[in-house]
Amino acid sequence: MLKIKNLKASVDGNQILKGLNLEVKPGEVHAIMGPNGSGKSTLSNVLAGREDYEVEEGSIVEYLGEDLLELDVEERAKKGIFLAFQYPVEIPGVTTATFLKEIINSVREAQGKEALPAPQILKLMREKIKMVDLPQEFLKRSLNEGFSGGEKKRNEMLQMALLEPQLAILDETDSGLDIDAMKVVANVVNELRKQDRSFIIVTHYQRLLNYIVPDFVHVLHNGRIVKSGDKSLALELEDKGYDWVKKEAPQTV
Amino acid sequence: MTNIQDKHIDRFLTLFQSFEGALNGEKGHPMHEWRRKAIHRLKDLSFPTRRHEEWKYTPVTKVVSPTYSVNPNSELSEKKLEKFKIDDLNAAVLVFVNGQLRKDLSDLDQLPQGLQLMPMSEALDHPDYQDIVKELYISSTEKTEDPFLAMNAAFSKENMFIYVPANTHVTQALHILHINTPEELPYFYNPQKLIHLGKGSKMVLVESYNDLGEGDTKSEYFNNMQNVIHLKGNAQMDHYKLQRESTRSSHLNNTSIYQDRDSVYSNYQLDLGGLWVRNNLNAYHKGENVTTNFYGAFLGKGNQHMDAHTLVDHAIPHCQSNELYKGILDDKAHGVFNGKVMVHKDAQKTNAFQQNSSLLLSEKAVMDAKPQLEIFADDVKCSHGATIGHLDESSVFFLRTRGINEKRAKEMLQEAFLLEVIENMPNESLRAYASKWIAEKLASE
Repeated sequence: MLKIKNLKASVDGNQILKGLNLEVKPGEVHAIMGPNGSGKSTLSNVLAGREDYEVEEGSIVEYLGEDLLELDVEERAKKGIFLAFQYPVEIPGVTTATFLKEIINSVREAQGKEALPAPQILKLMREKIKMVDLPQEFLKRSLNEGFSGGEKKRNEMLQMALLEPQLAILDETDSGLDIDAMKVVANVVNELRKQDRSFIIVTHYQRLLNYIVPDFVHVLHNGRIVKSGDKSLALELEDKGYDWVKKEAPQTV
Repeated sequence: MTNIQDKHIDRFLTLFQSFEGALNGEKGHPMHEWRRKAIHRLKDLSFPTRRHEEWKYTPVTKVVSPTYSVNPNSELSEKKLEKFKIDDLNAAVLVFVNGQLRKDLSDLDQLPQGLQLMPMSEALDHPDYQDIVKELYISSTEKTEDPFLAMNAAFSKENMFIYVPANTHVTQALHILHINTPEELPYFYNPQKLIHLGKGSKMVLVESYNDLGEGDTKSEYFNNMQNVIHLKGNAQMDHYKLQRESTRSSHLNNTSIYQDRDSVYSNYQLDLGGLWVRNNLNAYHKGENVTTNFYGAFLGKGNQHMDAHTLVDHAIPHCQSNELYKGILDDKAHGVFNGKVMVHKDAQKTNAFQQNSSLLLSEKAVMDAKPQLEIFADDVKCSHGATIGHLDESSVFFLRTRGINEKRAKEMLQEAFLLEVIENMPNESLRAYASKWIAEKLASE
């Protein structure tokens, strides 16, 4: 599904990703952990296509056999990539319902499906909003405006559930969440898990991985994946902290 | 040295002769005496230059230079009228084509219940109304310092007197619908309304300005309009102006509002059309506990110039004013907001709020924002804010990551920006109509 080879990216002239390799196959859940400043958010943003990040020559990112780096932000979304934001933006004046309607039909259109009529979309939204445990009234409010941190993250999960992506990247979705909100996030991911859908869960904490059991755990340090393993690696990190990995990592810079 | 603008005044004086010649029977009426007084006044005035503080950002030369025709035709088929009506609005409609009233297309026989409407000449002959008309009118003829007001009074043909008797609640709206059509020569017209709301009365006035021309056939004209409004004690008025003039036209809106005690006046303005647009909105408080609300939204593209000038004259204690103006400027468009709030020494306990926010979408777009608070009383609450910014890039990115293309994402954010103004409109049909207009303009190239 996704093949990343030798990915190097910088922001404002500072190289953050320094040759990252990762392969995600259909149906797999990969957790990417790492200390602050290791490049976790850069990886998420590069995959979603944020223009502030400059990807260097020689970097290869292949998604479903296509060169992902050549696709516009919205094309990536239409081809099934979803990024759950670490800090979802507030958009005053656009109601959540209007926004959801717009994105559902925009992605459906790209997939060659018919636009859903308003009543059917509303029904769908009302059904899925229960999954993330937000009151129905949130649909009428401006997108994320005045939402708490947890409400914003639930709203991200609602969008993911409605868009049914092929590859979902959760960028520190669990940061700052209480245990109930975190369980909601985990539930949505677990319900959406299926054979041809993959997840990259970027997280600073091991806690979320008690609820979402990953197939692989990778440690990102200094712009590279320095250690990979199964779910037990996450527990080991929780136990020993990141210093242990940092010491083991080869010093090449 | 004579002012260089004098030659433009001279041209309008000459134009008045041909205008007068075409009036025929009306020349004997006292109304025409007033027109002559106004043109006489115009002789002593000159058009403002950019050295004039109130006109610093808005040059008038291009507006007053053309030789305008004063007698455009007023043809329009009933079929073409339909698309200019406002969906679901409960209103009696008066149709003006190129500034001329089309009685046959208007609901003159079905005016809103309780509302009186007549040409000013008729009101002048009417014993109940003549004093009101004289009082409201005199300021715009003999005494005015503004050449555009004198011109409006001199050239006004289709003027109207609107009267709401005391304690009358007019539930149906009055919709003044202007449609412009392309003519061979640029033309010029001067709509004029005197509006009097009696004690405890209430009305909704909707003005819409439209153009029938498209692309290269857009109409070329100068609409020099004037409203003089008097709200007696406890009266309430909702006044909408939705403007989608031709982008080859000039639109000058002079609206003065005189408010007696406990009255509430709310103005909702949307400016999308016009190559040159200037709004002068002046509210004068004449009694305690008056409320004035000014809401304005504008969206300029291409070479459009859009100027909103407001004045709230707080002369009396215990009065309120609220102003919210938001504008978007793209391409080489130029926006101006000049909001003057004058709080006189005696106007204690004044509550005045003003906010102006603008978005600039291109390197060459310009916004001049000038909040002007002059406060001479010491026990007041006054605040103002002016911000000029760009479209938020992280919001655009967020929308794009959800599969919305860049153009549409930017449109959505602009719609949302102006919605903050539009959502204050109390009438749902007009809110929907204004939003539709904004969406259409955003989607156009």
